[in-house]
Amino acid sequence: MSDDISGRVAGQADGRRNSDKVLFRSKSLNKSFGGVHAVRDISLNIPHGGVFAIIGPNGAGKSTLLNLMSGLYQPDSGTMSLDGVDLVGLKAHRRVRLGLARTFQKIRLFKHLPVLDNVIAGFHIHHDIPAWQYVLQGTAFRRDYARCRDEARKLLSFVGLEERAKARAGSLAYGEQRMLELARALATSPRLLVVDEPAAGLNAAEVEKLLDRITQLRAGGMTVVIVEHNMDLVMKVADRVLVMDYGQYLFEGAPAEAQVDPGVVAAYLGA
Amino acid sequence: MSSRDHTELANPFDRSSVSRRWWLLGAIVTIGLLPLVFQDSYWRTNLIVCALNVMLAIGLDFILGYAGQLNLGHSAFYGIGAYVSTLVITKLGLPFWVAFLCGIVLAGAAGMALSMFAVRLRGHYLAIASLGFAVIVHQVLVNWISLTQGPLGIYGIKPPPEIALPGLPVISFGNSANMFYLVAGFALLFYVLLDQLVRSPIGETLTAIREDEVSASSLGINCPAWKVFAFGAGSAVAGAAGAFYASSVGTLVPDAFIITESFTILAMVIVGGMGTLIGPVWGAILLTVLPEVLRGFGDLRLVLYGAALTLVVLFMPGGIVQAAQIVRAQFDRLRARLEAG
Repeated sequence: MSDDISGRVAGQADGRRNSDKVLFRSKSLNKSFGGVHAVRDISLNIPHGGVFAIIGPNGAGKSTLLNLMSGLYQPDSGTMSLDGVDLVGLKAHRRVRLGLARTFQKIRLFKHLPVLDNVIAGFHIHHDIPAWQYVLQGTAFRRDYARCRDEARKLLSFVGLEERAKARAGSLAYGEQRMLELARALATSPRLLVVDEPAAGLNAAEVEKLLDRITQLRAGGMTVVIVEHNMDLVMKVADRVLVMDYGQYLFEGAPAEAQVDPGVVAAYLGA
Repeated sequence: MSSRDHTELANPFDRSSVSRRWWLLGAIVTIGLLPLVFQDSYWRTNLIVCALNVMLAIGLDFILGYAGQLNLGHSAFYGIGAYVSTLVITKLGLPFWVAFLCGIVLAGAAGMALSMFAVRLRGHYLAIASLGFAVIVHQVLVNWISLTQGPLGIYGIKPPPEIALPGLPVISFGNSANMFYLVAGFALLFYVLLDQLVRSPIGETLTAIREDEVSASSLGINCPAWKVFAFGAGSAVAGAAGAFYASSVGTLVPDAFIITESFTILAMVIVGGMGTLIGPVWGAILLTVLPEVLRGFGDLRLVLYGAALTLVVLFMPGGIVQAAQIVRAQFDRLRARLEAG
């Protein structure tokens, strides 16, 4: 991993960490769609640092929970906070400024734009130049412009796409698109990175690569939440898991314990 | 949005500022020479109309081509600029340049208001809402007779006041060449302003919204606010065009801002090439000049015009800009082959 990225991530985690060991906290979250109670009474404590996995069979409500966290949906009831800041009612774009970034299960890149520009769009909240500079484009503008391109290239090389910087994002292979989404999310400099089903549609080598990058991010001090239904992957990378089924809490603890928990085994094997 | 399918994209940000300066100089020289080439009043009027249409097209392109908001009500902002600036002069007795500013501000405010009301609408729904807005504005202009004199129109609108600088001859805008310089000068100014914006992170932000709003908000972009900004900027430019329209034509009737005008401006943007600023400039010039050139065909004129539009949309969805890219690529290939022997 490039030192710049781990340095930046670590610096941020240290700078903002407070005495509370919990980064993300939720209490009794509920969300229904019509008659479907997709998330039922979910309470979570995600600690600073480490990889936290949310697992469960298809339709368990994992993605809904993630959409509640990122602000795409608002909960029907319950509370959520990031580092002590209340998230309920806060729009998705406001949460990004608090340090929450996400990727999408169904890839949502800016398909018609070059790969590099996809990452550069992720620097939206980090342009700290006065508005008139956008029109007159003086030294401060050019410095900011060069810095964004520089950092975007570093992020691309972190995910192994530096050669494809000028390609159209939609022309990338599926696995490359996933890595690009990761780079774009990292451009916002998140403290909490939420990755939705990162391994879906990837081959074994690509999954390896992805796990390696996530491990590097964790080493740099970032907190990563992975939503996944692939148990093997979770066992390899997660420090802690939450198991959900039918929108409900089933288990929370170390991955190894989840594997032997009778409730979890029953949910997965349908016994 | 775009039909470009080649994998390697030329990044528009890579174009050096040196070459942009040469283009700017070329544009200034061209504007300076045009009235000298076209001396008769018929073509000089067309020159002014070209410059007005360029303003309208680049304003709409900022909203549609960059922020991706399907605005079919651009004629309303044009009309608001024209009527507000005229009424501020005739009813309030304020000087032209104050009225001009009022036209810009009110047209921009109308654009922002429309965008705020339509904040949840996109695509076809926004198109219908903005079309409805254009119909409403037109109806208000027709029916608020005590203010606008309705279909009777407002006559005898004066051109902008003369500029008398010490030691220089007086510049009168009753002269069509001077009026063209004024309008084209502002068109160029607005072009440069918008061009700077789209080459800044604001351009990146608007393009992100155009491509995928959910993704954009996941990167911290406040989509509704930026759409309001794009609408405000684009419609303010249309307001400026309206103020110049009134003062150059001298007559104001509501039917100049009927909804078909919105579609004409839209056609200029599409024929030129959405999402590039230079494309709509060429589109505006082409679609202003083409109907005049086709006048010799009498009633067939509109058929030919319609056929040309349909052909462009069918075979060249990227417009003139796409055509130029294809020609340039062919030229480069030919040159490479010749150099290779």
